[in-house]
Amino acid sequence: MNAVGKSVSLALLLAGQVLAQHRSTAAGWLGNLTMTASGTAGWVENISRTSAEPNRKDAATYELSLAASRHQQLSPSWLLHVGADATVFCVPDYDRTNLFKAGPRLGLQRKFGLGPLAPVLQFDTALTYKSARLAADRGWTAEASLRLVKRFTPDFKVGVSGHWLEHSARSAIFDLQQHSFSLDATWDISERWSLSGSAGRLSGDVVANAAPAVWSQALSGGLGPVVSAYYNSRPWEVTSLYGPGWVSYNVEADVDLWSLAVTYTISGHTTAEFRYGSAFVVNKIGIRYPTDSWGLSLVHRF
Amino acid sequence: MKARFILALFVLAATTPGVAASAELAITVKGPKGEPVADAVVSLIPLDSPAPPPAISAGEVGQQNQEFTTYVTVVQAGSRVLFPNKDTVQHHVYSLSKAKKFELPLYNPGQNESFVFDVPGLITLGCNIHDWMLAYLVVVPTPWFAKTDPAGLATVAAPAGRYRLELWHPRLATLVTQEITLGVSESARRDFTLTLKADKRIRRGGATKTGGYR
Repeated sequence: MNAVGKSVSLALLLAGQVLAQHRSTAAGWLGNLTMTASGTAGWVENISRTSAEPNRKDAATYELSLAASRHQQLSPSWLLHVGADATVFCVPDYDRTNLFKAGPRLGLQRKFGLGPLAPVLQFDTALTYKSARLAADRGWTAEASLRLVKRFTPDFKVGVSGHWLEHSARSAIFDLQQHSFSLDATWDISERWSLSGSAGRLSGDVVANAAPAVWSQALSGGLGPVVSAYYNSRPWEVTSLYGPGWVSYNVEADVDLWSLAVTYTISGHTTAEFRYGSAFVVNKIGIRYPTDSWGLSLVHRF
Repeated sequence: MKARFILALFVLAATTPGVAASAELAITVKGPKGEPVADAVVSLIPLDSPAPPPAISAGEVGQQNQEFTTYVTVVQAGSRVLFPNKDTVQHHVYSLSKAKKFELPLYNPGQNESFVFDVPGLITLGCNIHDWMLAYLVVVPTPWFAKTDPAGLATVAAPAGRYRLELWHPRLATLVTQEITLGVSESARRDFTLTLKADKRIRRGGATKTGGYR
């Protein structure tokens, strides 16, 4: 675990200390938890993140999440929030990619002034254990993010975020170090409908997959010396995630991310969201892995 | 001594709202399509004599289910208003209004602070944690006021005399005023059709996974 992971662990330990000091009110804390559950059915094009177009795999995905959170005002301008998340992710067509992940998160928010138009700076950390069906991908993920949100009108707000992630997996192929920046905006069109969008760029390690024949060709120089030299320098192994003999490999890449979501508020406790997302991955030697996804989610706050 | 006591009782009776009321004003407030308008505040400000001091009473604007318990509250200037946190979560109630600026940070469930509102005016209340929470406290310089119900109806009982009628609503661009004279034992009626601005309240977030400022 590197500096980010250690920082996250330290932050969580400090939160534990704060909670321990307020043990007498622990019951109140537990009683005031906000619990939410969400379910998402999605469709992902090029879920395999494959560069060779004929080999790209598309699949339906299903995700179920449970989250608990609690916030506490530390001073007039500072808010602490703690929580925990658990997520199950399933891909019936490629069930070796199924996974379960869970872990705590901790955040601090600073509001600069009073009122809904006052900007909010938010620092979040999370530590998650990923229990992937593929043992090589199992491990801890540490995340930290910094986000500034400003509401310009009662129905329009904009946020800018920076996000850091490190995943320490059993196999080096699945080790990830990523950082990203994004800009997002949300417009409450009416009492029930909202439109939100985001655009950003991620840089760091990405796991891609290749069919065995293509991979052999790439390593042997059939796709050129640059490809061969680069792929021979990166960690890879046969994981059969998307078919017998399929290879997973780790590349350094830049990813252009953007998404558009329409949200419908069914009730004060339940929302439905339809989201389109695009991730256009270009690795260090210019190989492209475009991925598009559509998802329909239902989120319920208990 | 006895004469002084009787005189004091007479003065008290003459200045106590309700006791000297001899006229009733019924108000109907509608929107442009004829729909009833709730939460419109009507107040009668006497033009020929000063308004009596406020009766010993208190208004209340609680917080419950991450909302204010009343959207519009009316009190006479000089009244004490309680802000009980009846919720299970913290709030940070504040007002940035000229008539009264205040803050209740770190406001835990069960706390019940209060303030006296001496200056007539409109006080907009918010919660700095839950940005969608919004309420109005209307402080009027008279004991003769009312707020329209969901049917758009309100009734004010006041002594006979000349008044400036003021009508306010959160979505009204400017205060509606008119002079009105109430006769002894008279039942007057006024109907208002208002042009209301769009409701620009911040929408309460539906279900989201994270807590904190929203």
